Amino acid sequence: MDKLGFSFDQTLCNGCKACSVACKDKHDLPVGVTWRRVAEYTGGTWQQDGDTVVPNVFSYFTSMSCNHCEDPICVKVCPTTAMHVGEDGIVSIDQDKCVGCRYCEWACPYSAPQFDPSSGHMTKCDMCADYRAEGEDPACVAACPSRALGWGPIDELRAEHGTLAGVEPLPDPAITRPRLVIVPHRDAQPTGQGTGAIINPEEL
Amino acid sequence: METKDVEPTVTGGVSRRSVLKWSAAVGGGAALVGAGVYSSAALPGIGSENAVGLVPADEDAIVWSSCNVNCGSRCPLRMVVKDGQIARVLADDTGDDSIGTQQIRACVRGRSIRHRIYNPDRLKTPMRRRAGTKRGAGQWDEITWDEAYDEIATTITRLIKDHGNESIYLNYGTGTLGGTITRSWPPSDTPVARLMNCVGGYLNHYGDYSSAQIAGAAEYHYGGWIGSNSFDDAKNSQLQVMFGNNPLETRMSGGGETFVTQQTKKLHNVRTIVIDPRYSETALGIGDQWIAPRPGTDAALVAAIAHVMISEDLQDQEFLDTYCQGFDEDHMPEGIPAGNSYRSYVLGTGPDGIEKTPEWAASLTGVPASTLVQLGREIGRARPVHITQGWGPQRHANGENQARAIFTLAAMTGSVGVPGGGTGEREGSYSLPMANPFVMENPVETAISVFSWTDAIEHGAEMTALRDGVRGKDKLDTGIKMVWQYAGNALTNQHGDINRTVALLEDDSLCEMIVVIDNQMTVSARYADILLPDVSNAEQLDVVHQGSAGNMGYAIVADKAIEPLYDCKTIYEMMSEIAVRLGVEKEFTEGKTQEDWVRQVVDESREAIPDLPEFDDLRELGVWKVEGESYIGLTDFRADPVANPLATESGKIDIFSKPLWELSQTWELPEGDRITALPEQLSTWEGPEEARTNTDFPLQVIGHHFKQRTHSTYGNVDWMKEAHPQVVWINTIDAEARGVANDDLVEVFNDRGRLRLPARVTARIMPGVLSVPQGAWFKPDTDGVDMGGSVNTLTSWHASPIAKGNAQHTTLAQLKKA
Amino acid sequence: MNVHELPMIMFTTLAQMSVGAFVVLGIIQIVAARRFGSDAIDKVTDPALYAIGPAMVLGLVASMFHMNDPMHTLNVLRNVDSSWLTREILLGTGFAGLGFVFAFLQWKKLGSVRQRQALALVTAVVGLVLVGSMSMIYYSLVTVPAWHTLATPAQFFTTTFLLGALAVGAALMGAVMWRIRVASRDADGVVGAEQTVVDTTSRTVLTSSLKGIGVAAIVLLGIEFIIIALHLSELSGAGDVAGQSAAVFSGGWFVARLVLVFLGAGLLSVFLFRYASSASTARPLAILVSSSFALVLVGELIGRSLFYDSMFRIGM
Repeated sequence: MDKLGFSFDQTLCNGCKACSVACKDKHDLPVGVTWRRVAEYTGGTWQQDGDTVVPNVFSYFTSMSCNHCEDPICVKVCPTTAMHVGEDGIVSIDQDKCVGCRYCEWACPYSAPQFDPSSGHMTKCDMCADYRAEGEDPACVAACPSRALGWGPIDELRAEHGTLAGVEPLPDPAITRPRLVIVPHRDAQPTGQGTGAIINPEEL
Repeated sequence: METKDVEPTVTGGVSRRSVLKWSAAVGGGAALVGAGVYSSAALPGIGSENAVGLVPADEDAIVWSSCNVNCGSRCPLRMVVKDGQIARVLADDTGDDSIGTQQIRACVRGRSIRHRIYNPDRLKTPMRRRAGTKRGAGQWDEITWDEAYDEIATTITRLIKDHGNESIYLNYGTGTLGGTITRSWPPSDTPVARLMNCVGGYLNHYGDYSSAQIAGAAEYHYGGWIGSNSFDDAKNSQLQVMFGNNPLETRMSGGGETFVTQQTKKLHNVRTIVIDPRYSETALGIGDQWIAPRPGTDAALVAAIAHVMISEDLQDQEFLDTYCQGFDEDHMPEGIPAGNSYRSYVLGTGPDGIEKTPEWAASLTGVPASTLVQLGREIGRARPVHITQGWGPQRHANGENQARAIFTLAAMTGSVGVPGGGTGEREGSYSLPMANPFVMENPVETAISVFSWTDAIEHGAEMTALRDGVRGKDKLDTGIKMVWQYAGNALTNQHGDINRTVALLEDDSLCEMIVVIDNQMTVSARYADILLPDVSNAEQLDVVHQGSAGNMGYAIVADKAIEPLYDCKTIYEMMSEIAVRLGVEKEFTEGKTQEDWVRQVVDESREAIPDLPEFDDLRELGVWKVEGESYIGLTDFRADPVANPLATESGKIDIFSKPLWELSQTWELPEGDRITALPEQLSTWEGPEEARTNTDFPLQVIGHHFKQRTHSTYGNVDWMKEAHPQVVWINTIDAEARGVANDDLVEVFNDRGRLRLPARVTARIMPGVLSVPQGAWFKPDTDGVDMGGSVNTLTSWHASPIAKGNAQHTTLAQLKKA
Repeated sequence: MNVHELPMIMFTTLAQMSVGAFVVLGIIQIVAARRFGSDAIDKVTDPALYAIGPAMVLGLVASMFHMNDPMHTLNVLRNVDSSWLTREILLGTGFAGLGFVFAFLQWKKLGSVRQRQALALVTAVVGLVLVGSMSMIYYSLVTVPAWHTLATPAQFFTTTFLLGALAVGAALMGAVMWRIRVASRDADGVVGAEQTVVDTTSRTVLTSSLKGIGVAAIVLLGIEFIIIALHLSELSGAGDVAGQSAAVFSGGWFVARLVLVFLGAGLLSVFLFRYASSASTARPLAILVSSSFALVLVGELIGRSLFYDSMFRIGM
């Protein structure tokens, strides 16, 4: 079966978080549990010369949920096997097994597994399995006002958009091999460059 | 009569039962996928073309509604209703990803509307300020609807008798916008206005908090509001220049200008320069170059560009000669002394004797002279240039001149009235000529500026045309004795200097009655005498006119998705009931229900728009779209300026305005304020020059429009506060000098007030400038420190000179670590 | 300082202390049995052995509080294939179980000495593998630079032996003092009681054990300080995220931890060695070794808390 993934066009993202809130609305997520988050990565400096100032600034957004990795570290570390991979490559959580130890939360470099205090379990994106079963787009993809998000068989996405997934502030894709392709913003910094910083850490 | 203090109550939008049912549905879907129902043949694929017809297995109904707030966009929403409650909100699923037929995907705010409808701040029942307590003290008595109607009707009757209709004022409010009946703006179109018009009218206001100065400037410059070319038309441009225009944040709809500008840039890649003190989302998203001038210096920036263009003979002289007045000495009105043309101003041969060189402007704007030279050449050589401005540059103490300077630049490039060009105003858009039979004429002609209602409460009877911009009369006869505030937050939060405004409102000997109609306990609602709980638009039927969406036109029937919550009532019912008590029910309702009016709107609109479906079909469709023309202002004038003169004094584009010349000599202005006939750079109170010398408050404060809110709407929604928390933007250099790190709690303060909120330390704002995203809900602690972070705790009542508009981006303050 | 991870701080520290104590007791047994015979040694060490069980149980109970849905606790045994957390829990319960069996056999003197020694050896090995798997939980998180380093197992094993040794010392002397106190009730005074309770062989076993513990503590302290230094230098050159972790090891709590461990394992151990070498009475020795243990325990708990504080993950 084709393995599924997300595509994300960074050039179109204005960081509005419609994806994030559409996801929360769809899954009725409380404040504090956010399956899709948007990081703002910003860097640069100003040069002051007398009364004038010249910026050398860059900034771009990255919308990120679970990337349903080919080598999902969350599945590997989960002591209960609650975290598992489906035939379509979708990583999801069996709520009957999860013990809420939050080890997957420590491990995942995308912060995909999120703890829900009300159930004491981890929760995460399943790429809207119910919508897909109905032949619909996942909520975040359908929500994106800028049409920056896409989904589908990862091979097709890679054929269309390339294979880039290593852009700051994302981790080295070699770690978990995310099923994610990114169309980079003109100022996108390669992973590990450290030229800027996530400037909205409180929002992630 | 029950008496109690009102506290927020958690209502819980979705019942536990439906949550469980939905969870079951989600689980079931997952099981299906696991069982292999999914196959590549049935792949939905990427993008919207396949995203139609979503019907979750066990929902009761999907009802079309819409998000009707004042962002300039307007998004249809599909409410998934279960057990009489909205269980989920879906976006528009019609149309495609092409400009002109696009799916109107709601932005983050619309997607969170369920938590606005089912908000703990919802007003539930009519209330009266408890006798003996101050306005804003938060002590309320619940009253019946009859008590509320009677008291309001009695007061109106008394005030009209004692002080005349001009003692009653409809304050600005844009909390519900775009509908026909559920419409809080423009004030003349509201049900409150209709009611008041039935009993002799009310005191009007002109202008609005969004665009007072630019609208005032356009009256003199173009003879009225024209609008620049729509954003889709930038495809025909050689260069796009955006002065403080930020559609990617201010008009975030995925069917509106965010979509249009992004797709136009993606498809046609016209070089785009964004001029803004902030590296805005628009600058980072579609800008090829970012230029950061100090707030309040756009007119200087334009003068320097003009200097480069004139020096290198790059201006469209033929256009200026044919279509404009006042660019050079050969095209001046009669009776004006020599040296008063714009050219003379720029070259330093006018009264001030200062040549507006790039070096001169560099010092003021902060933009290096070399950049200004390059900018002048690039703009000067590109034809046509799509020049627009947002409403940031004009929301200043010198806002009229800033706006007019940018208009003038558009004229110098000869880009007015042609495809790919523009007027230098804000972008226009295609719109459907929808009828509005609900509107009545106001018998009262007297008007004050939108920003001067606090003056009119404080000393209305002293306000004059020459000093205060009173229109329709030389002076007011009475102060404001009663304020209606329908779906608006300008009663405090969106006005200048909140602390001073609150102090004014606390004195109920001046304004005797304040009636607030809203569905949330807004900051303004706190200062009401009578609170009437309105329903949300999901709880009633209306027909909604489109928002700004490039060349696409559309209309929405926003149906009643759920029954009114609590004891809330529609504005139409409220006004009808008061009309009964004022003896004007027949005039007000004409015997019609709200649905009758809505049907009539559609019926009458079909006369001008024959393709518009009939009401019942439109109701079924939810949203109806049509690909229209790109908006290009002043094509008639461009084609034949003699046959199609402008409504200006000269009939041309008045770069030099004779009426303003006269105003500058006749109007009584506060010391230091000036009106000029040319769009000169004006040095003002709390401007960039003063920032250099003011050691107490050396930072300029602006308040950009923020994703969390449309102005203040959605500002109390938990999901929105989580997604986009309120912060103050400060440059890394300024932060370092104050020992402030990103996310540190800081205080921003001046003589008018004090805020406490986290700092966003970022290179994305220029040094010397703070931005406190406008619209946060004022929330004073016991020491009066605003913990909500409303920028208007810092701003002033000082109005702009011509339009008497709100100069909220002209503010100085200091920041320190809390 | 981290309190959110209190269950894990308690569990890892107590479990490591238990393993360390068990191993140290085994060493004392092996070294001393040759000279004095196992019966004589058992008399001294058995009380300490019985103290390990409650410590380990306390640790395991604490670890339950880390599970946010304790009803699902048994599920944690499912992923032995790839989860170090599963392995840790299996090994933890295995160590505790074997330890109990061993303690029971030892108490009842069931089975031959050799059989019991074999069981002790298996238990010790399981315990050491437990500490190893515990460290792998953190070491295997390639996404956490502060943990994905040899410093993690090195630290865990150092803690194991340092706390284990001092805990044994404290337990040995604690048992002695308790017996003296009981004896002094019906005998004539403490000095007489001590002579009754602590015979010459026991005294020799005790003083040589304490001397050994003192020396071991000083050596382990040195190792721990070297690991900390190496870890910090590794982190400081390894990018932003590692740098954030490094910053955790700089504040007042970090200094407090170093000072406490230095006082306990360094200064007091020197005194412990000296007093144990002289013909001292039990009381000062007991005070010294239990103070040393208490200081190091608090220091290590702070250190473990900082360890969890240093969890900064790469990515977003």
